[in-house]
Amino acid sequence: MDLGLIGKNVLITGATQGIGRQIANLFAEEGANVAICSRSPDGVKKAVKELALLADGKIVGAPCNIKNKEEYEAWVAAMAEELGGVDIFIPNVSAGGGADSEKNWWKNFEIDVLGAVRGVEAVLPLMAKRGGGAVTMISTTAAVETFMAPQAYNAMKAALITYAKQLSQAHGDKGVRVNSVSPGPIYFDGGAWDMIKTSNEKFYERTEKTHALGRLGEPEEVARCVVFLSSPAASWVTGVNLVVDGGYTKRVQF
Amino acid sequence: MKVRREQKISRVAKPKGARGTPVKAEPKPKLGADVIPAERYTSADYAALEWSRMWTKVWLLGCREDDIPNPGDHIVTEIGKESILIVRQQNGGVKAFHNVCQHRGNKVVHAVHRPQEAAKSFRCRYHNWEYRLDGRFADIPDLETFPQGAPSCGGLISLPCDRWGSFVWFSLDRRASSLRDYLGIIPQHLDPYHFERMVLTEWKSVEWNTNWKASVDAFNESYHVQGTHPQLLYYLDDLDIQIDCYERHSRYLIAFGVLSPRVVSPSEIPPPIKVAMRDAGMDPASYEGSVYEARRAIQKHKRDNAVAQGKDYSDLNDDQLTDDYNYLIFPNITLNIHADDLMLFRHRPHPTDPGKMYFDYFMFQLPGNEFDKEDYKPPIHKSYKHGETSLGLVINQDAYNLPHVQDGMKSEGFQGLWIGDQEIRIRHFHKTMDDYCESAKPKGRAG
Repeated sequence: MDLGLIGKNVLITGATQGIGRQIANLFAEEGANVAICSRSPDGVKKAVKELALLADGKIVGAPCNIKNKEEYEAWVAAMAEELGGVDIFIPNVSAGGGADSEKNWWKNFEIDVLGAVRGVEAVLPLMAKRGGGAVTMISTTAAVETFMAPQAYNAMKAALITYAKQLSQAHGDKGVRVNSVSPGPIYFDGGAWDMIKTSNEKFYERTEKTHALGRLGEPEEVARCVVFLSSPAASWVTGVNLVVDGGYTKRVQF
Repeated sequence: MKVRREQKISRVAKPKGARGTPVKAEPKPKLGADVIPAERYTSADYAALEWSRMWTKVWLLGCREDDIPNPGDHIVTEIGKESILIVRQQNGGVKAFHNVCQHRGNKVVHAVHRPQEAAKSFRCRYHNWEYRLDGRFADIPDLETFPQGAPSCGGLISLPCDRWGSFVWFSLDRRASSLRDYLGIIPQHLDPYHFERMVLTEWKSVEWNTNWKASVDAFNESYHVQGTHPQLLYYLDDLDIQIDCYERHSRYLIAFGVLSPRVVSPSEIPPPIKVAMRDAGMDPASYEGSVYEARRAIQKHKRDNAVAQGKDYSDLNDDQLTDDYNYLIFPNITLNIHADDLMLFRHRPHPTDPGKMYFDYFMFQLPGNEFDKEDYKPPIHKSYKHGETSLGLVINQDAYNLPHVQDGMKSEGFQGLWIGDQEIRIRHFHKTMDDYCESAKPKGRAG
């Protein structure tokens, strides 16, 4: 099966590590042109260099603080300019979890929610110009089942699923598909589950057993689903939330 | 994933002012690489040698000054087979006595580890022999029926007793040199923390099924963090620590609020560092810096907000605002010292069984603005057996290992302790034990 990604232009926010980085890797390997960002200039430089080794297409990137609207819009414009348009957009960057104070709500709202909204509004006209495109939101199973603690991350990630569904209805006529992917617990070195594995191995092992498939996921296993849903190969899929969790959540999804 | 990142902890170069805790690193002591015999932990003979040559020669922590604020206030503490009565005197001084009636050997005060309010005198419950606060006989009923008269000692047997650092100390050696001599560097190092400003918030004793030295060892090295306390790898640097051995006491300085080089740097601030931020009065969600800047950020926040929080850190250097300055006052006082609290452990030998000990857990907190002096009630001491009470995750993790260590040390298949450089304080501790146990006359130099 050909995903049809050769020559497609992809924008991904926050793609220097973890799931976002794997998404960028796979797009690059599939021959897409990829633009990334991160807050740290060194992080972007390093990731662009490493991605270029995998790529046939063009790899670009620039530092960007997603919280800053002007800076973010300028990043979208600059990347679209460098690649010559936008076909696929993955708002991936997140403020992460935490229930420290009200500040967590503002951070998840500004980075997770507005980070998607502002990006979508900037790329929609660019996609329309090219006759369509795809947006894939990164949500979480913490949005669909009780997880850890009541916190902004879970609720704000839930907002993205609703937002994605409504976008899919509103922009289908322009050939734009919009979907969400909700990963369950994913292990990678330096990730939250690395900390948990080191700090509380028993809890980590219990969590592994909670998965129908008996282990935690890997970033690439999520990335493959994101890349598929975003690719022309998924041309008849829009408005779905694909739970990618190895059977971690237990609800029935009709 | 097994990692070992390159990391250097930045430490202050100079003490805070003229009275600050010295920070200079001592040269690594040359203590050889011999196996430390396991019998030291298991044999009754070695325990007897320890008693006659070490426990009865050193200075020992008796109680807190706050336990006995007023004349006549008193408390009984125990060490090995001895029971010691510590009494506040009319002139504000303190005296320590063997807590034993000179008539038939009954203990004069029966409550142990319970601060007792002002007595005018001490009366033995057996035959009403009575002692003054300074230990002299006050009354011996029917003295005329003792043809030999009163015991020539004149009262309770008095012991050297002195005060330092908000604590009362005593020695079982009636010819002991002064407490100051014995403590050596300790007052200069620890006075800047002002223990006298701290209040006791927890006080428990647990009978642990291990030798007291195994318990001392467990708090004398950071090598076990990766094995026993993996959660602390997201809170402290267990590799770049400063170890300083003095004559008989020792310390190590461990940076808190940092990552261990043994973990991959996470993209989020780890939960234990967030706790340190919250404890300092910061909002972790508002912190925008990297994990590598967190330690200095916490220090700065505490320094900047000390007055507003009602805390005085003026004698402490910046490192002391986050880090663990861990001292061993030989032989049996472990102090984990932080700007806002002191975790003090006293490791006491069992009177008869070298495979048992008493772990005394004291937690002291520096009160801030929110502290209500009127409302404060000191905790009442309680005693437990191994496993009957929680001492918090970290100490529970240590306590879990120790009975197994003790059992293992008795095995024919174990020759002794194989000690590495990260554990050099253990080697230094045993060298100090040797100084006492191998010669009848301990060294008199300051430690």
